[in-house]
Amino acid sequence: MNSIYQAKRYRITDVVEQTGDNIMLRIKTRLNPKPGEFVEVSIPGIGEAPISSASYNNKVLDLNIRIVGNVTEAISKLKKGDKIHLRGPYGKGYPIDELKGKNLILIAGGCGLAPLRGIIEYIDQHRLDYREIYLFFGFRSPDDVLFKDEIREWEKVYHMNLSVDEAMGENPFNCPVGFVTGILEKAELPVNNTEVLMCGPHVMMEKSIRILENKGFHDNQIWVSFERHMKCTTGKCGHCMINGMYVCIDGPVFRYDEVKGVDE
Amino acid sequence: MGRVLKKEDYKKFLQLLKSKAELVAPITTDMTRFEVVEDIDDINLEGGNPFFPIKKYFLPNKETLLKIKNGNTKVIEKKPKKRIIFGARLCDINGIAILDKLFLDHKYPDENYKKKRENTIIIGVNCLTSPSEYCFCGSMDLKKEAYDLLLHEREKDYYIDVHTDYGAMLVKHLPEDRFDYPLPKTEKKLDKKNLWPFFADKYWEKDNDLCVSCQRCTILCPTCFCFDMYDRVNPKTGDGERLRKIDSCHSKDFTEVAGGHVFRDTRLKRYRHRVLHKVQFFEDKFDRSMCTGCGRCIEYCHSKIDFVTTINKFIEH
Repeated sequence: MNSIYQAKRYRITDVVEQTGDNIMLRIKTRLNPKPGEFVEVSIPGIGEAPISSASYNNKVLDLNIRIVGNVTEAISKLKKGDKIHLRGPYGKGYPIDELKGKNLILIAGGCGLAPLRGIIEYIDQHRLDYREIYLFFGFRSPDDVLFKDEIREWEKVYHMNLSVDEAMGENPFNCPVGFVTGILEKAELPVNNTEVLMCGPHVMMEKSIRILENKGFHDNQIWVSFERHMKCTTGKCGHCMINGMYVCIDGPVFRYDEVKGVDE
Repeated sequence: MGRVLKKEDYKKFLQLLKSKAELVAPITTDMTRFEVVEDIDDINLEGGNPFFPIKKYFLPNKETLLKIKNGNTKVIEKKPKKRIIFGARLCDINGIAILDKLFLDHKYPDENYKKKRENTIIIGVNCLTSPSEYCFCGSMDLKKEAYDLLLHEREKDYYIDVHTDYGAMLVKHLPEDRFDYPLPKTEKKLDKKNLWPFFADKYWEKDNDLCVSCQRCTILCPTCFCFDMYDRVNPKTGDGERLRKIDSCHSKDFTEVAGGHVFRDTRLKRYRHRVLHKVQFFEDKFDRSMCTGCGRCIEYCHSKIDFVTTINKFIEH
């Protein structure tokens, strides 16, 4: 008998400490979720947590885990060589392969960078298919910057705009101090033939959208990712439902004009 | 196509059902509930619509989805009990048709539900009069579906509407007939309308003031299916199970995410979500209302909150 709730066991090949409350797990698997899709990660006996994919390749899956609940707390204690259970991938991610030939603007706040890292990995593999790539990433402080080594690499090849809310004297990235939305506001960006992909705190996404609208962007050029606690991940349990939409199967990525002004 | 059961053969028919599998039917004690039938004389179809809907046989309050052993999850191979539900009304039966849409979904069929569905025979009875003043199924476009057999009482006999092959087998010894039985009529009616223009808080405040989030409405609803999933293990061995427990969108932590943020953070938002999910959101997606008009959420509400009257009073400006 099959069960849609059954998870498979995989081996953790690496654990990378990112910041004080974020770790990255590298897992050997060919699941290869598309950017923006997520998997249900679990430790039997503890429970499950939906985590979005932070990579794009069919050898390993990278998951950035922010330690906020009892499941992620338990996951953070796992070591290289340990086993972890996954089911998925689930959801509708960023329609990255439909955006070929365009300029892309990626906006992330905090651990919202994780799914966008998957997009960048995809772009790296298909660089000639896209035009200009603009990155706007904001973190609370230099200590909170995720994927530090990669950010230094991306700086070399893309239009990188990194900012931290507060530097507290140390600023190894030499980046502006302030909200990333402030940087976005000042940036000169091509509006035509451009799509914006974002993930991060609700407030940051709302503010970014207002700024983009002022710059002349249309709502149908903007893609947002919603955070909800998906439990069944198969369009049933109701936990992630917003006015009849299931974030787990209809999202988590939505084109902004489809969800604009949604109140619940 | 259907069959005819003479009134004097009614008990014989129930005996036949009882001999085939575990028979559950409305039995009245302190109130009427679906319970296992020991003696067919206990069956009482006159006791009103049973307290709990037949949903409980397909989505029990709590069930094991996976076994946890040695750090692994394992699918349970056990077959559910063969069961005949007798005496379900069309509201509850339509409720099952609605649950089928989600739990027998093509992409993600839920095996636990499917197995119970396959091993359960549903034999309905048609309501000739409303079993309660709260019923409003007459306005909910109920369909003749999701049952195996359905009894409609006529003056001298019962017409049995046959809907599945298994149902046909149970009544193949009875004489044939063809009759288009009438759907139940109710005095109470929901004035169906597009509710999107009435989303604003002010339309829901009056009901919200009375709601105490007790969740009885969702527990007793024949179509409320929301559930939680969690693990429970023996701390010594680490073995146990991954469970599903019926949850309610009325509970505050229903939309809570790790870190503590709650999306539907007021009772009003949660109340409105339940009602609109029933009569708007589901309809938008599946072209049918998720409410079947059984009236339990009104009848058993502590404050007798009546969303039907509330909606009927909405007037578009």
